[in-house]
Amino acid sequence: MIHPHPDAAIVIGILALQGAFIEHQDALQKISLQKKIEVIQVRTAEELAKCAALVIPGGESTTIALLARLSGLLEPLRQFVKTKPVWGTCAGAILLSKNVEGAKKGGQELLGGISITIARNGWGSQVESFEADLDVPLLRDPERPFTGIFIRAPVVLSLDTTPEDPPIKVISRLSPHYLPESLTSSNLTHEPKTFVALQQGLHFLTTFHPELTQDNRFHEYFVRECVLPSLPPPLQ
Amino acid sequence: MSAIAPSVSNAINNAIPQSADGAAAPLSAPSRAIPREGGNSLGTFGVKSGLAQMLKGGVIMDVVNAEQARIAEEAGACAVMALERVPADIRKEGGVARMSDPQMIKEIVNAVTIPVMAKVRIGHFVEAQILQVIGVDYIDESEVLTPADEEHHINKHNFKVPFVCGARNLGEALRRISEGAAMIRTKGEAGTGNVVEAVRHERTVMAEIRRASSMNEEELYTFAKDIQAPFHLLKETARLKHLPVVNFAAGGITTPADAALMMHLGCDGVFVGSGIFHSGDPAKRARAIVQAVTHYNNPKILAEVSENLGAAMVGVTIDKNLQGGEFAKRGW
Repeated sequence: MIHPHPDAAIVIGILALQGAFIEHQDALQKISLQKKIEVIQVRTAEELAKCAALVIPGGESTTIALLARLSGLLEPLRQFVKTKPVWGTCAGAILLSKNVEGAKKGGQELLGGISITIARNGWGSQVESFEADLDVPLLRDPERPFTGIFIRAPVVLSLDTTPEDPPIKVISRLSPHYLPESLTSSNLTHEPKTFVALQQGLHFLTTFHPELTQDNRFHEYFVRECVLPSLPPPLQ
Repeated sequence: MSAIAPSVSNAINNAIPQSADGAAAPLSAPSRAIPREGGNSLGTFGVKSGLAQMLKGGVIMDVVNAEQARIAEEAGACAVMALERVPADIRKEGGVARMSDPQMIKEIVNAVTIPVMAKVRIGHFVEAQILQVIGVDYIDESEVLTPADEEHHINKHNFKVPFVCGARNLGEALRRISEGAAMIRTKGEAGTGNVVEAVRHERTVMAEIRRASSMNEEELYTFAKDIQAPFHLLKETARLKHLPVVNFAAGGITTPADAALMMHLGCDGVFVGSGIFHSGDPAKRARAIVQAVTHYNNPKILAEVSENLGAAMVGVTIDKNLQGGEFAKRGW
């Protein structure tokens, strides 16, 4: 591996096949850090190869997966996920999960990366979309809640970690009052369903949309806790 | 929206004594109790316009049954528009075009996992109430259907479900946003297979935004009067240099090149109506248009996806003899 010059910018890619990718770009560019961040839009394998980390935005997961396959990006993305930090929001969270329920007929392609089972459209149709204040004890200004915007959001159904997997850290959870009845009526524990932001190793997942707010604390968290630790140590 | 939310939650926070074990549980619990009953956090403008943000860079396809909806989903549509007749057939067959049968819309909702939109007539708020109840994800208050009201549009603030509305110019777009539209589509001329009006409307909106963004406040007051737009929305648009909501192009888009052209002119995504299922190979054409919207800036990919798509919709010229009339002129 070539060690980049210590002053070189960290290149973070935003998968720009479909969805709200510009908003992630704007939020990442506003982070102030000692190291420079360069944000690029990724639509080809060549662009992906330049990136030290990747954000998969919200959008339609079926559309993004199909475009990834047609653009020859599916395998390069799967390889990328194995070694580099990736953050998925909403549709991106679905793609980053190991298993999905409520997939389209015939199933849908995933990238994997985080050992969970996730359900698409956990709350139902758009009229059930909502905003909720989230507790964010691990972010900057932890006493200030974060406005979670949940749009046809997925729900984490279970954690499926094996002994070899890195542990899953819950970064933020939703008050159980917000869960739809269809999810709380079963006898199974509904605890994982309240998990709306998770970290496993270098990977990060949010079922809501931090990029639609002006608050970039989740973007900061991803860079600080996932991207920076993954970079090779500077040469002495 | 994000600026308001924390202060609301702080107000709740101050009113409710904190439990000894910290702020965790009590902080979010009360804010749920209030919105579920009062509807405050459901259907906010944030979540309504936010869904449109998620559709960006995508293609929304007209479908008339569950089978077509599945073809559209497999081809990468980011949403489908459920309707009984595509605009080209409405032109040909004439008569009054209304909201589709709720049963048919429900079949489409059950067939796919992507968002489903459906159309209501301009001003027909009861059709909109029906669509909200059956759980569509977006309502199009559309000039393609026969208008129910020739003076008033629906007060879209009254609904939890978001609306998309057509516009030919900046004034019309801002009037619709003022009524609560969470997404705008430039009208084009639906059901013609001819992109010329879509180009005219998108260019008009973008040119007017560019003009507004170079004006001082006195000039903006006069411009708002001239284009019959609410001043505060015009000022916000001038500052942002784009519409305050997502803007798709529609009406006559038939080929991958048409879709890419519209993306170059500044829209965020496209609607394709009659152009797909009135063509020789709908699945292939649909997929090619989806790729063209993503890679609109890459002529090499556009060349590849444009090959061997089979027969395109024939299309018609748009003049005073246009069968069914000019839909784009409906809307006030």
